[in-house]
Amino acid sequence: MSASANRTALVRIVAGREISVKLHDKGFIASTIVFLAVIVAATVIPALLSGGTPSYTLGVTPGATAQATLAQQLGALADDERPMGIPAADITIAEVDSVASGLADENNIAVLSVDGIAATLSGRDTVPDELETLVTSAHTQTVVGEVASDAGLSEAQMTTLTSPQPPKVVLSDPPPTFAVPPQLVVLVFGFLFYFAVLTFGLSIAQSVVEEKQSRVVELLVAAVPLRWLLSGKVLGNAVLAIGQVAIIIGAGLVGASLTGSGDIISQVAGVSGWFLAFFVVGFLMLACLWAVAGSLASRIEDLQSTTLYMQVAVMVPFFAAILIQDDSPLQRVLSYFPLTAPLMMPARLAQGTAAGWEPWVAMVIVLVTAIALIGIGARLYAGSVLNTSKRTSLRAAWAKGAGA
Amino acid sequence: MTWRVGGVVMVVTVSETLTLSIRGLRQSFGDRVALDDVSFDVRPGRLTGFVGGNGAGKTTTMRAIVGVLQPDAGEVAFGGAAMTLSVRRTIGYMPEERGLYPKMKVLEQLVFLGRVLGVDKSAAAQRAVELLEEFSLTDRAGDVLHTLSLGNQQRVQIAAALIHDPKLLVLDEPFSGLDPTAMDTMGTRLRERAAAGLPVLFSSHQLDLVEKLCDDIVLIREGRVVATGEVSALREQRAGRRYRVQVEGDPQWRPALPGVTVRDAGVQGVTVELDDDVDPQELLAAAQRAGAVGHFGRVLPSLAELFAEVGR
Repeated sequence: MSASANRTALVRIVAGREISVKLHDKGFIASTIVFLAVIVAATVIPALLSGGTPSYTLGVTPGATAQATLAQQLGALADDERPMGIPAADITIAEVDSVASGLADENNIAVLSVDGIAATLSGRDTVPDELETLVTSAHTQTVVGEVASDAGLSEAQMTTLTSPQPPKVVLSDPPPTFAVPPQLVVLVFGFLFYFAVLTFGLSIAQSVVEEKQSRVVELLVAAVPLRWLLSGKVLGNAVLAIGQVAIIIGAGLVGASLTGSGDIISQVAGVSGWFLAFFVVGFLMLACLWAVAGSLASRIEDLQSTTLYMQVAVMVPFFAAILIQDDSPLQRVLSYFPLTAPLMMPARLAQGTAAGWEPWVAMVIVLVTAIALIGIGARLYAGSVLNTSKRTSLRAAWAKGAGA
Repeated sequence: MTWRVGGVVMVVTVSETLTLSIRGLRQSFGDRVALDDVSFDVRPGRLTGFVGGNGAGKTTTMRAIVGVLQPDAGEVAFGGAAMTLSVRRTIGYMPEERGLYPKMKVLEQLVFLGRVLGVDKSAAAQRAVELLEEFSLTDRAGDVLHTLSLGNQQRVQIAAALIHDPKLLVLDEPFSGLDPTAMDTMGTRLRERAAAGLPVLFSSHQLDLVEKLCDDIVLIREGRVVATGEVSALREQRAGRRYRVQVEGDPQWRPALPGVTVRDAGVQGVTVELDDDVDPQELLAAAQRAGAVGHFGRVLPSLAELFAEVGR
């Protein structure tokens, strides 16, 4: 056994306790699982809902076969061949004697009957939109074709008439294309970070006040320098926070890839690196201040008031990031302001409105602020954590923390 | 101790050098002077009782020793070395208001504190198990601390102070809140540590207990050390000229001598105070004239009397 103090080892032991306590906390486990479930559901369920081509069995009365077959062909076209506005659908044709007998069969979702140029699509309480659109389109083509054929148009003329080439749209400054709206990406990341910073920030504050209230801090301080103790606390919680966020983002990406939404992955994975990098630095920037919020309190009950400003400092950037999403001067300024930059800058990247050098500059600004706030936080923590009798004022903590 | 044997310098650390010395501690809290030039030694292999009333400065002194508090002035040294971090880490410390994690399991807690104090994980676990056995807490090892009774929490606290095999014990009120059996056990444990050569400093306001247990005492009042040294020597020194005489067969006997004042009388005999010019031999001669003397001797003050006296 050695009494000599090894900083790395001690910081790791303190951090290890923070992690172990949190991993044994049922509330933490539950919230992580709920988060994972929500993220997986959010990526998988829409994909399942929109993914498959709908299948319908359409009853067809004699005389409506031509339209039905055309509708079937239109629905079966490959994605890149299908004209704009024509949905994909897998239509099975079932020949029926009459509308009534066709509807009597539960398998038929609707029955198509044609009388001259009037077509009727009979359903029960409703008719699927895709089916209605396909049948409408097929019927129009058939009628136009018949009229044109009566007028003696050639085959080529007829084709031009029934399927005119839509105008080609050419943009000189096309916006980036997104599989999901960037607003949604910012909202999801913003909420995730807001939640994680609040959870683990409060957890740092709680851990500090718990040691203070139970007086363990007196035992620890006799053996471990205050700043090492603080480092261990902050690191332990940072590891958990980053781990939780990374797992949730990872689960979301895996969920999206399993359901074949490759375009979503390439869009989100591209910006999530910056989101994560800013999250790490942003978390560390505030972490020591969370510890101060804990050390100013003398009991758990005081936390509500001592952490108030910290909660505001987390909430304001979150709302700013999700509410200010247009490419405005305000957004540009806020994307460099240390408190809001960790969300605003990656948000601008997600929207494609930030140049490549911009996040680096914002990152340096946040880093410098983080170093300053960690220094200030450590001093305030040192000046207040041993005052167990009552709430400490910031001024007293600052004075007492000198040289500690 | 250093000497030369055939040109080789031999340095031998004798346990005698591992004295905890406190010199000139001063500490004020606002206008209130908590410590005023506090100096004393805690010698190795001896139990030193730190005695004083509430607010006398015991806790402040102990906090200054372990480095939780940075005094305004004064020095603390252990074995001649300043209290650097690595020296402080060899102290077994029990704070006045206690300090353990209420929601952590007893064994995990001891292992954690052991590791914080530099013991590696497996050694800390082994030692924690041993200590829990020593304090009859083996069956509570897996329980969360706050489910234990206060007395048992106190035992865990002392186990925490011993987890790293400390070189010095500084215990603030280790006996408060213990039942008589637990107090006995605690006393035995402290004696054992002292017998093993450690300097042990503990504070208490239970004077009879300190008197029974301690080798040395430090008496503090209003931030000043008013008496320090070996308990028996102190009592001797402060004994004054008080004698008890018992004449067998005549319990009613009273000395009729000038300059002798009767303080107390009973079956144990009579207790008298002699004026400075009275020779104790005269008292003895007078008693012998009255009959066979069953007892004749100086009366040493109890610690409580001493405490009351120096406090004036």
